[in-house]
Amino acid sequence: MCKIRAIKRTFTLFLLICLTSIVLTGCWDRTEINDLALILAAGMDKGKKNNIELSVLIFIPHPQQSGQGSEMSGGKSSGQSFVRSAEGETVADAMARLQEALTRKVFWGQNEVLLIGDKLAKKGISEQIDFWMRHSEPRIRADVFVSKGNAKTVLKTMPELEKDASKQLRKIVKTHIGVKVTVKDLLQMLSSESNAAVLPWVENLSPSQMDSKKAIPTINGAAIFKDGKMVGRLSDKETRGILWPRNEIKSGVFTISFKDETGYISLNLLRSHNELIPSIRNGKWSMHIKTNAELEVIQNTTKFNLFDPNVIKKAEQKVEYEIDQRERFVFTEVQRKLKADIFGFADEFEKNYPQIWKQKRDQWNEIFPEVAVSFETKVNIQRTGLADGKPKRGAER
Amino acid sequence: MKYMGFRKKGEDTPHIQLNESMNSFPEIPLNRRLYKNIDILKSAYKDCSDVVFRDFSIGSEINAVLLYIEGLSNIEEVDQHVLRPLIQLKSPENGPIFERAKKEISVSDIKEIYTIPDIFKQISIGNPIILIEKQTKGISVGLPKWEKRSIKEPDAESVIRGPREGFIETIRVNTSLLRRKIRHPLLKMKQINIGGYTETQVIVAYIEGLADNALVDEVTHRLKRIKIDGILESGYIEEMIQDCPFSPFPQLLNTERPDVAASCLLEGRIIILIDGTPITLIAPCTFASLLQAPEDYYNPFYISTFIRWLRYIFFFIALLAPSAYVAILTFHQEMLPTSLLLTIAENREQIPFPALVEAFMMEITFEALREAGVRLPKQVGAAVSIVGALVIGQAATAAGLVSPPMVMVVAITGIASFLMPRYATGISIRLLRFPIMILSGMLGLLGVMLGITTIVAHLCTIKSFGVPYLNSAAILKLSNLKDVLVRAPWWAMDTRPEFYSKDTTNLRREAENQRPSPSKGDGGS
Repeated sequence: MCKIRAIKRTFTLFLLICLTSIVLTGCWDRTEINDLALILAAGMDKGKKNNIELSVLIFIPHPQQSGQGSEMSGGKSSGQSFVRSAEGETVADAMARLQEALTRKVFWGQNEVLLIGDKLAKKGISEQIDFWMRHSEPRIRADVFVSKGNAKTVLKTMPELEKDASKQLRKIVKTHIGVKVTVKDLLQMLSSESNAAVLPWVENLSPSQMDSKKAIPTINGAAIFKDGKMVGRLSDKETRGILWPRNEIKSGVFTISFKDETGYISLNLLRSHNELIPSIRNGKWSMHIKTNAELEVIQNTTKFNLFDPNVIKKAEQKVEYEIDQRERFVFTEVQRKLKADIFGFADEFEKNYPQIWKQKRDQWNEIFPEVAVSFETKVNIQRTGLADGKPKRGAER
Repeated sequence: MKYMGFRKKGEDTPHIQLNESMNSFPEIPLNRRLYKNIDILKSAYKDCSDVVFRDFSIGSEINAVLLYIEGLSNIEEVDQHVLRPLIQLKSPENGPIFERAKKEISVSDIKEIYTIPDIFKQISIGNPIILIEKQTKGISVGLPKWEKRSIKEPDAESVIRGPREGFIETIRVNTSLLRRKIRHPLLKMKQINIGGYTETQVIVAYIEGLADNALVDEVTHRLKRIKIDGILESGYIEEMIQDCPFSPFPQLLNTERPDVAASCLLEGRIIILIDGTPITLIAPCTFASLLQAPEDYYNPFYISTFIRWLRYIFFFIALLAPSAYVAILTFHQEMLPTSLLLTIAENREQIPFPALVEAFMMEITFEALREAGVRLPKQVGAAVSIVGALVIGQAATAAGLVSPPMVMVVAITGIASFLMPRYATGISIRLLRFPIMILSGMLGLLGVMLGITTIVAHLCTIKSFGVPYLNSAAILKLSNLKDVLVRAPWWAMDTRPEFYSKDTTNLRREAENQRPSPSKGDGGS
């Protein structure tokens, strides 16, 4: 009897647990994929008055099935996604308006690209970035870009190779030729001591580089932000210069030539490491930028024998000079003209001289352009390649 | 409450009546008058067309009866070695007839019997009985013979490398198979008969000194406790002696392979052999041993370790794949890489059902197909699998009822559950998949975690004959894990697993220094 009662008790307990779990939770946040409007990219533009115009690139899930008519496959290449936009006082407000016109629930979880129109960028982005950090749905690892012209028009472009603008931008930024900034990075930069940020600049590919007249977005340089406002932009070449002190350079090819020799040597960057060494002496602020780079030779059109250590030394010096030049070039631009501390000097000074920094923090804007910058570059050529040290072409003739 | 089947109505059987208690006839001794004994027997075997009473006279003077069941005894041998010498016996009056008759019978296994119930027992084993006039004892001749299956490789536990023999339905053959592997007098085989009507022979085999005596006592005690009308398969016994009767997990291992049984004996475990089934039970059982296959120990240890890990991974896949799919697709869409989610979204666009319903439908269809495949005759089975593959794989997706990714998930789950080396493990995983799926459909990954937590908590509470189920994971000792995390090479597995025996003095199974190396191998040159 006792056993039966025990079984009964466990059984009722089990039933109770089952029932409560259903009642209590009720699958409240369950959403089928079919009820989601998957957002692939979002763009923010300055709207009428002080409004924000939010544009989103929404994925159209065409059923992909074998044995379906050719009309489907024909239409697929063009109509994979569409752009919707809405205006609101804030991004969140605009989003709510956007939702009103959509049959499916807006889903930010897969949004990987955030575009900011240049007008809005010049007006200031700090307030709007807050939404992307605070709201739990959008990814803070989404890449952020500033577009020339409206972000909405960039979203509408249809690249040739990739499915949509989102993928196009994401893949380009992944190559690490320019800067790559995520929402998290951007917020960190804006809230850091230096209060400056750099974002990749998107504009259309110039017609000379392609055969069609389509508008295809690509990354061309970078936009510089100070106090949350865009203050200027850098060209592609300058952008590569800022990558060195920011320790973001991942790849690159250097081609050097010598005065006493015809032909060139091309080298490939294997890895590099940068260090910022701040110092304050006698009230004079200075920054020493140390660069260590390792390279390999990928082409040699000179008659030099690369097995000769002297030649290598010469080449190394040449590359050092080259890197130095690239860095100097961008420093004059950014430090003197734009006065934006995108290299994180402020944080370095704060770390090393916390006491002085506390007093001088408010004057940083005046101090930064005056910081003396010195460079020390060390280059190490690791490999000269398999080919014979000496090219035969000259010797045999 | 007594089993009704054992009560018989008194008036039908005037001579012998079954006792009220289980499994026993009244101990009637044999009568001096032969016809009285025969009357009792004949009334007991009334309407039993297979029981033969053969009257004959020893040396054509003394009446005797040969009694056997057709098909159970070797009649040719009986004719030649029992009947003929007895009939041809000369001057039977000289000396005590019983002793003379016994001497004349040229059969090695001869027993004397004194009571009627003894006759029933002997005759149903297949031993012919000879009853002689004026004797209060009979002779049972050990000449049983019945049709039995030949020893074949078990279909359910086949191996590529390893012995090809399997247990059969006849218990004596099975014990001989074990004895052939372990030729040592310390291999003990205790016999217990269970089942009021079936009188099934159950043998508890163990190696004395390796197996814990308390464990042996516990097993025999639990077996003796069973009062049932019949045992037809080891499943009857398994469910009646396991520690946690409501658990979905198997608490006794079963095997059809003598080599597996022998290796378990050597580990200090106990084998329960049951007459009439090739499936033997192994006690105790731990969770880790559910995922060990016999071939692990025959193949090189690298591949065995690799396959063992494969099995661990696929254990989780078999248990969780559909629920994880449902949970991620309905609650955590942000967890998938974008391109993967887009592909799935494209595929799911036309599906009219929620992911949970879709998964349930597919899983149940799959289970049904599997069951159909097992149950159907072999010739039809192939057709079913073809139809099943088409229905699940092609037609359902083409009709837009099920999305291709779901088909893939179900297929992987199916494959994963086939990877389990023990059929019983597969069953419990298949069963547990469904509640976890419901949980995941309700609560997402939180539900999956809840399910896993519940299962792990349950596993922690199970004991198999006093041995904790998760023993190898709970007692963190490296030497215990050498047959769990990896399959250590044989020269390194120098001790028995600790958990099957409380006596830790006799754990060594190898001499020291067994790792081969040139200086040891070449005979000291």
